[in-house]
Amino acid sequence: MRKPNPDTPFDSPTPPRERGLLGTLANSAWPILLGIALAAALHYFWPLGPGWLYYKKVVLDVGIAIILAVSLNIVNGMTGQFSLGHAAFLAIGGYTSGIVTYYGSILLWKSTDLHGGVLGPGAWLFVFACLLGALVATAAGYVVGLPSLRLRGDYLAIVTLGFGEILRVVLQQTNPILSPDQLDSSSLKNWLPPPVGGAVGFNGLPTYTTLFWVYVFVALMLVVAFRLKRSSLGRAMISVREDEFAAQAMGVHVARVKVMAFMIAAFFAGLAGGLFAHESGLILRPLDAGFLRSLDYVIMTVLGGRGSISGVVLAATLLTVLPEYLRDFDQYRLIVYSLLLIGMMLLRPQGLFGIHEIWDWRPRWFTRKPQTRSPSNEKRGAA
Amino acid sequence: MTNVSTANRTAPNQASPTLLAVEGIGIRFGGLKAVDGFSINLPRRGLYGLIGPNGAGKTTVFNLLTGVYQTQAGRIFLDSRNLVGLKAHQVVAAGIARTFQNIRLFPGLNVLDNVQLAGQLHAREGLASTLLRTRRYAHEESEIRRKAFELLGLFGLQERCLEPATSLSYGHQRHLEIVRALAANPKVLLLDEPAAGLNSQEKLELAKSIRHIRDTFDLAILLIEHDMGLVMDICEQITVLDHGEVIAHGTPHEIQNDPKVIAAYLGADAATV
Ligand SMILES: Nc1ncnc2c1ncn2[C@@H]1O[C@H](COP(=O)(O)OP(=O)(O)OP(=O)(O)O)[C@@H](O)[C@H]1O
Ligand SMILES: [Mg+2]
Repeated sequence: MRKPNPDTPFDSPTPPRERGLLGTLANSAWPILLGIALAAALHYFWPLGPGWLYYKKVVLDVGIAIILAVSLNIVNGMTGQFSLGHAAFLAIGGYTSGIVTYYGSILLWKSTDLHGGVLGPGAWLFVFACLLGALVATAAGYVVGLPSLRLRGDYLAIVTLGFGEILRVVLQQTNPILSPDQLDSSSLKNWLPPPVGGAVGFNGLPTYTTLFWVYVFVALMLVVAFRLKRSSLGRAMISVREDEFAAQAMGVHVARVKVMAFMIAAFFAGLAGGLFAHESGLILRPLDAGFLRSLDYVIMTVLGGRGSISGVVLAATLLTVLPEYLRDFDQYRLIVYSLLLIGMMLLRPQGLFGIHEIWDWRPRWFTRKPQTRSPSNEKRGAA
Repeated sequence: MTNVSTANRTAPNQASPTLLAVEGIGIRFGGLKAVDGFSINLPRRGLYGLIGPNGAGKTTVFNLLTGVYQTQAGRIFLDSRNLVGLKAHQVVAAGIARTFQNIRLFPGLNVLDNVQLAGQLHAREGLASTLLRTRRYAHEESEIRRKAFELLGLFGLQERCLEPATSLSYGHQRHLEIVRALAANPKVLLLDEPAAGLNSQEKLELAKSIRHIRDTFDLAILLIEHDMGLVMDICEQITVLDHGEVIAHGTPHEIQNDPKVIAAYLGADAATV
């Protein structure tokens, strides 16, 4: 028998003790509580005034883009399954939550006006709608994840792309939205297919999306992503990306890992879809399910790095903010993105940060010798 | 997790000395019979060799045993549990782990993570406890980590545990392959040419390590190797494959003097005998 090495840099393991739900929450919930506090601070200390309203919209857009890019990165970056249909989950979440808030508001309060403040009844209906949208998107993620068990690389990309495009076309065929008056006299004919606006888009949704809720969900996304990355499941995802065959030979249930990645990513994309749908100044359109929007998030993950959460956050921020300041950027967006993508693939295929986090990067002369590092001081990242 | 430690695995069952019983397995690729009617009985703590000229079908036997390919005939029993029909990841869980002839470490994971990946095989905690970071989850994870780190000590790899796996020297990468397979806590360890590319000094040390592993971890080893010196030195029994078929089976002494074996090697690769 081998004796444990006395120089082992590990603390002696504590025996597992059963903790109640409260104990678990107290110990593991602090990052998310911190996130909620920061989101609340952002919300309440945001300056009033017309000029700031514009910046507010940019900051909202950044938060939503972060959720979408970081969630896509779980599939594309960590698990190495190239999905080109992430926007489809956004649309599923957006349309589902939109149906709930729009028609729910009419049924409950006879109008689609905002009802209550940040934590008022309307806001809770909105949060419930977002979560429901996220769950429906998760189910779709399961379905879209299945082809990844058989298809690889380009073929999977084409299937996921097709999924988004089909959804876009289907959404165009939906019925016009029913106004509160029309609702009473509506028949089954108006409800099949659902009255979500067809090609015009789902407009008139109550604008419940606030800085607070967006950044609460951003915090949730980041905590989940970091915890996933440094966990057995995250390690399994990376092994699937690196070498599926070897992963299987080491006992990784490859099919399960892939479908899990798709479902987790779809959940958060659906959540972000809810936020997107209820942001003021935006109309949820069938186009939002399609390839062009998916490409936006793919670019963010490619730029940020395969599996680098902080890198992707940075890329999502830059690619959301920069277009706001470059006039007419929208016209050239596709050209710029395509060039960016080609350039990245040629020069730095692993993305700006590769698999590393931003804080892993230090000037070379600053790094300590690896020999002096032990696993116990490697516990970085969010808890 | 605690009950899968190498130290307290159940004592050898004296009633059935055979741990891995393989009977007439085979596979064809198109017209080619890559392996045909392969049988072997590997006892507990056995250290057996599998040799044969290039392309004889040795690696294919490992692929059949580990569920990469499904055998088209015959039976595979591990501890009287039928393994035919299991998928690759289920076979590892059942107790057969392997290394790869052409090293297949995960370049994106560091040395320790490569080992932990195999060590997490029997982990129980699910997605919810992973995301909630429950104490049970943290404990399980730190146990996997501690064991992985301990295993790295076998080949003096502990200091390098945070380096990318592929930054190791070739010899160390071969060692890491073995450590990774051991982390899955197997009953049977399949080593596919572990000495390939090592110099003679490294080969001597590897031979010692293989014996040491067999003794300390109480497992059976089946070894594919082209280096006859090494095979003859450490293996108790040797099976010889040629063109997918077993042409001889016996002690190193018997194998060295078997005319069929000599003929197979003279025909293919005279220098190695
Ligand atoms: N997936 C496959 N498809 C088709 N033929 C295969 C496949 N795998 C192996 N073969 C063939 O089966 C035969 C046995 O191959 P195998 O890799 O088992 O040989 P080996 O004994 O391990 O040789 P080496 O000593 O070179 O490693 C070879 O002729 C090989 O080309
Ligand atoms: Mg081989």
